[in-house]
Amino acid sequence: MELMKLEIITPTGVIYDADIKQVTLPGKDGEFGVLPQHASLVSLLESGLIEIEAEKSKLSVVIDSGYVKVSENKVVCLVDGAVALDGADNDISHALDEAQKLMKSVENSNAAIATAKKLDNMKSSI
Amino acid sequence: MANLKDIKRKISSVSNTQKTTRAMKLVSTAKLKRTEELAKQSKVYANKLTEMLSEIAQNIQSSNIEGLSSKFCNEQEDIKVVDIIFITADKGLCGGFNSQTIKRVKQLIETYKAKGTKIRLRAVGRKGIDYFKFNGVELTSEEIGVSSAPTYDKAKDFISSLVEDYVNGSTDKLILVHNGYVNMITQEIREDNLLPIDTSSMVDSTKSLSDLEIEPEDDDSLLETLITKYVEYSMYYALIDSLAAEHSSRMQAMDAATNNAKEMVADLNVEYNKARQQAITTELIEIISGVESMK
Repeated sequence: MELMKLEIITPTGVIYDADIKQVTLPGKDGEFGVLPQHASLVSLLESGLIEIEAEKSKLSVVIDSGYVKVSENKVVCLVDGAVALDGADNDISHALDEAQKLMKSVENSNAAIATAKKLDNMKSSI
Repeated sequence: MANLKDIKRKISSVSNTQKTTRAMKLVSTAKLKRTEELAKQSKVYANKLTEMLSEIAQNIQSSNIEGLSSKFCNEQEDIKVVDIIFITADKGLCGGFNSQTIKRVKQLIETYKAKGTKIRLRAVGRKGIDYFKFNGVELTSEEIGVSSAPTYDKAKDFISSLVEDYVNGSTDKLILVHNGYVNMITQEIREDNLLPIDTSSMVDSTKSLSDLEIEPEDDDSLLETLITKYVEYSMYYALIDSLAAEHSSRMQAMDAATNNAKEMVADLNVEYNKARQQAITTELIEIISGVESMK
C-alpha cells in the first residue's frame, strides 16, 4: 500500500509527523478525505476532527481553525491549536478534556458544536 | 601617588560592579535559553506558513488575478506612504543591540525621504521610542512592554490596525526592522517587507502550480485569512527573535563588562601594592635620616 507523509504543525511545535495511508480533514466546505497521489490542494480547515489512518493504527486529532496544503504525496496541516487523542485510557480521557476545552475556546460555530458532541460521545464510550 | 584609602575604595566599588554584571549575565543566559526554545518551536510553523503562502502567491501572480489578493502580493508602482515598524528592547545595557536597529531605521528614513515618500514610524520598545523622541522625530505609534514579553495576542493587536490601514489604502508598504538572533554570539539586523508580500525572496517552486486547487473556491477569503495570519505571525516571530537577540547581546555585553572589571581590579591591586611599598620606603627613609641626624 502506498503511503504519504502527514505533518500537523501548531505555533507551539510539530504534533504529528509520520507516513500514513489516509486522512480525513474538516474542510471549510465540508469534510474530505485525502489518499496518496491526491491532486495539489489548498483549503481552509474548520474546527473539527482530523482522522488519521496510519499503517497499523488509527488516530484522531482535534483542531480549531487552520489550513491544509496537499502536494506531491505530502499533506501539511497548519493549525492554531490541536490535541491528539491517543495513549492509554487515562491519557485519552485527559486528552478529551483538553480537546473539549479547545472546542469551547472556539467561537460558537456549528462545526465546533458538532465536534463537541462527538467528543461527548467518545467520552461516554470509554 | 593616590591615597591608599582611595584605591581601596575604588577596588571595592569595581568588584561590586563586577558582581552585578556577572549576575546580569547569568540571568540573560537563562532567559536566552527559554526564548531560544520558543523561537525554535515557532520557526517550524513560520517556515511552513511562508512556504504555503509563497506557492499560492506565485499562483496568483502568474494568473494575474485582479482585486484584493493581487494588492497583497504586487508592489504598487507609486508608493506614497510607508510604515516602518521597528523593534528595540525595553531595557538597555545590551551593547549595540538597540543602536544598530536605530541606525538602520535612520538609513531607511533617509532613503525614503530622498524619494519623497511619507514615512510613518511605529516603535516597539522603550529604547527606540526614547531615542526618536529625544531627537524630535515624530512617532505614529508607540508600544511599550510588548518586546520584553511577546505573546501572539499582543502581536496580533498591534499589527491588525496596520493591516487594516494597508487594505483601505492609507499606507502602501509595511517594513519591519528588528535585530535578529543568529547564535549565542551573533545578532543580525533583519529588514522584512511585510506587505506587500515579497514573493521574489521566497522559495521558487514553480512545479505543478497550475493545477493547484483552492477551497473554498473564491480565493480571496482563503488568501485574506492566510495573509493576515502570515503578517501576524511574522510580527510575533520577529518579537521573539528580537527578544532572543536582546538576551544574547546583553549576555555578551555583561560578559565583556565582567572581564573588564576583572582587569581593572587587577590593575588597581598593582597600583595599591606600589603605593603601599612607596609608603613603607618613605617611612624607612624618614627613620634612617632621623637616626643619622642624631649621631
